[in-house]
Amino acid sequence: MKTLLSLALATSALASPATAADLQSFQVEKGHYQAILGDCAACHSKAGGKLYSGGEPLETPFGTLVPPNITPDRETGIGAWTKADFRNTMKNGVGKDGKHLYPAMPYPSYHLMPDEDVDDLWAYLQTVEPVHHAVEANQLPFPFNQRIVMRGWNWLNFEPEPFQPDEKQSAEWNRGAYLVQGPGHCGTCHTPKSALGADESDAALQGATLQGWYAPNITGQKRIGIGDWSKNQIVAYLKTGSNGHAIAAGPMVEAIQDSTSQMKDDDLQAIATYLLSVKADDEDGGGEQPKPLASDDSQMKAGAEIYRTSCAACHGMDGKGAEHLFPALAGSAAVQQDDVSTLIHVILAGAKGPYTKDRPTAPAMPSFAFHLSDEQVADVATYIRNDWGNAAPAVSADAVGDARGAD
Amino acid sequence: MNRRTFLTTTAVGLVALASGVAQARSISGAVPWEAFAGEPPTPVTPGGWHFFQPREVVLMEAIVDRLIPADDLSPSGRDCGCVVYVDRQLAGSFGEAARLYMKGPFLPGLPTQGYQNSLTPAGRYRAGLAAFDKAVSDTFGGRFETLSPGKQDQALSELETGKLKLSGKVDGKGFFALVLENTMEGFFADPVHGGNRDMASWKMIGFPGARYDYRDWVDQHDKPYPRGPVSILGNIVQAKAG
Ligand code: HEC
Ligand code: HEC
Ligand code: HEC
Repeated sequence: MKTLLSLALATSALASPATAADLQSFQVEKGHYQAILGDCAACHSKAGGKLYSGGEPLETPFGTLVPPNITPDRETGIGAWTKADFRNTMKNGVGKDGKHLYPAMPYPSYHLMPDEDVDDLWAYLQTVEPVHHAVEANQLPFPFNQRIVMRGWNWLNFEPEPFQPDEKQSAEWNRGAYLVQGPGHCGTCHTPKSALGADESDAALQGATLQGWYAPNITGQKRIGIGDWSKNQIVAYLKTGSNGHAIAAGPMVEAIQDSTSQMKDDDLQAIATYLLSVKADDEDGGGEQPKPLASDDSQMKAGAEIYRTSCAACHGMDGKGAEHLFPALAGSAAVQQDDVSTLIHVILAGAKGPYTKDRPTAPAMPSFAFHLSDEQVADVATYIRNDWGNAAPAVSADAVGDARGAD
Repeated sequence: MNRRTFLTTTAVGLVALASGVAQARSISGAVPWEAFAGEPPTPVTPGGWHFFQPREVVLMEAIVDRLIPADDLSPSGRDCGCVVYVDRQLAGSFGEAARLYMKGPFLPGLPTQGYQNSLTPAGRYRAGLAAFDKAVSDTFGGRFETLSPGKQDQALSELETGKLKLSGKVDGKGFFALVLENTMEGFFADPVHGGNRDMASWKMIGFPGARYDYRDWVDQHDKPYPRGPVSILGNIVQAKAG
């Protein structure tokens, strides 16, 4: 007995130094995963810049905000913060010294994260390279630059509380709901905003416009949502950027590269399960299916000819594209949305698909801004919205002109 | 990165290589890409003359209208913009022989050695048109543009064969060959360069231009391709009915 005990002691004595370090690196590892789920890099890093040392300016309905440096640099980052400060930021939107943050920092989603995950994230952020780089976050015009305004906003819009699982649903569904509403903050882009810049919770995930792009409806609604995607197609899209028919463009490219492509398969399955369940029984998917424009409509005729000469080589005369290389336009939600922002933007500016481990090609669509007039862009957009079984209202040259002016 | 900066960076890279310091830029991950990238072709500036003087314009227009007369196949060389094409070429780098070695010695060479003289194409047109103008007036008793089509053809044939002697050092045969070649270029080149107005020559020969996807025609044998031509500027001309 005695020998056994001393043996056990010896083993634990041997094991314990390693365990402490292991535990810590395990926590950092888990925290790293939280940073992926929350896609902190999307906003707090910029192309060519050091990780988390500050991002590109964000256009908000109120003005410009610059995501600050969150490396552990003491002067310009969060090196002088405590864990409590950090928790307060993630849960209540209140930074160090009681500074009220603007909800462009998605704390209205992050507050659903359990303390343990927030603490892991904190542990991870302590280990990234400290970068000395001062960022002036608040570039909003008066009165929105008054942080005190945020107190009122929070009171109106936001109730910090942890995620409440729905007992009637499976564990997988609950995990998906948590990821989408919580750290994944998918609604930041996919949910329309109220005049106050808060998510319209009735319309959650039903599509919104941001900076010239349309983040489409990703509920289980059939026609206007992704209800006709299989679970595996959603997982493939989030993991690789392409599901064979659709290839992500614009801001979703970054969300996929920096975040969803690095999520665990189980988590992606959970997200797909949840998304497909949202509004799944909403049969008509909001409104009547529009009728396609007649093929002898003048815009349709002009558009078909432009399509043949400028687009068909990649997207195919049948609009089916080529698997994983050129997205299908036939049946594409992005093409048939009422909001034509993405459509016009892609044709004018071009677009580049996501670069992921599984699909490193990152195919690109060329810019047509220089060689198609506003009328021609409108015509070809109208055409692709109304052939091959697609149906959506015509696009006007004025809408193209406005988009061109804004870029 | 647009193509222009890419070209400048490669140029720098080549210089660096030549001086023995290779400065490769390694790209990992996704290939760089930029929104709104594109190197649009610049169409010629419309209107006015950039090289030809008024007398030369009259002469050139009369000449190209005999080289490519209007008929039921196509409009005339002049109406297709051939003179505009040549004018813009002569006002540009072609006119100043930017791509040719133009330092002496200038010795007569074999025909297979190509053009060996000191005059640039711009200089050849200036001297050639003046000399042709004079030779035609002297020999045919009237200015070229006033002659009957038959006489005009005769004057041009004599220029082509060398029978019509031009004053000064101008090589008439060589000059005719140059004008003919440039006129054909103007007739058949993409409209972006000022000629081939409305893609007339392409419609004439059934050339579809800058189209690039014929997959739906691969298995349709022995049928003429029905679609009108496309310029690199993207203009589409619908095929004539039928
Ligand atoms: C959609 C963009 C966005 C994302 C994603 C985002 N942030 Fe932020 N974050 C911001 C903006 C903008 C601010 C500045 C807000 C302000 O000053 O009112 C901010 C502020 C902060 C601050 C306060 C810094 C300071 O100096 O006051 C911290 C800490 C922070 N973010 C951490 C994170 C972490 C951790 C994540 C990932 C889980 C994250 N953020 C994801 C946009 C974002
Ligand atoms: C930064 C903004 C942004 C965020 C964050 C974001 N998305 Fe997207 N998402 C978009 C945009 C824009 C598109 C449209 C892409 C296109 O047109 O190719 C899109 C497209 C999609 C599509 C394809 C829809 C279709 O019909 O083609 C799915 C599925 C999707 N997102 C799921 C998600 C999920 C799940 C999350 C959260 C983990 C998320 N998105 C977060 C902006 C975003
Ligand atoms: C050289 C090949 C190529 C040509 C030519 C081309 N595209 Fe694309 N297109 C692509 C690729 C690749 C994508 C995916 C880009 C991405 O995911 O960011 C794309 C994406 C799109 C999308 C967005 C689909 C979505 O789900 O968001 C639309 C709309 C589109 N193209 C329309 C057109 C039109 C209209 C033309 C002709 C004016 C055209 N394309 C010409 C390759 C091409």
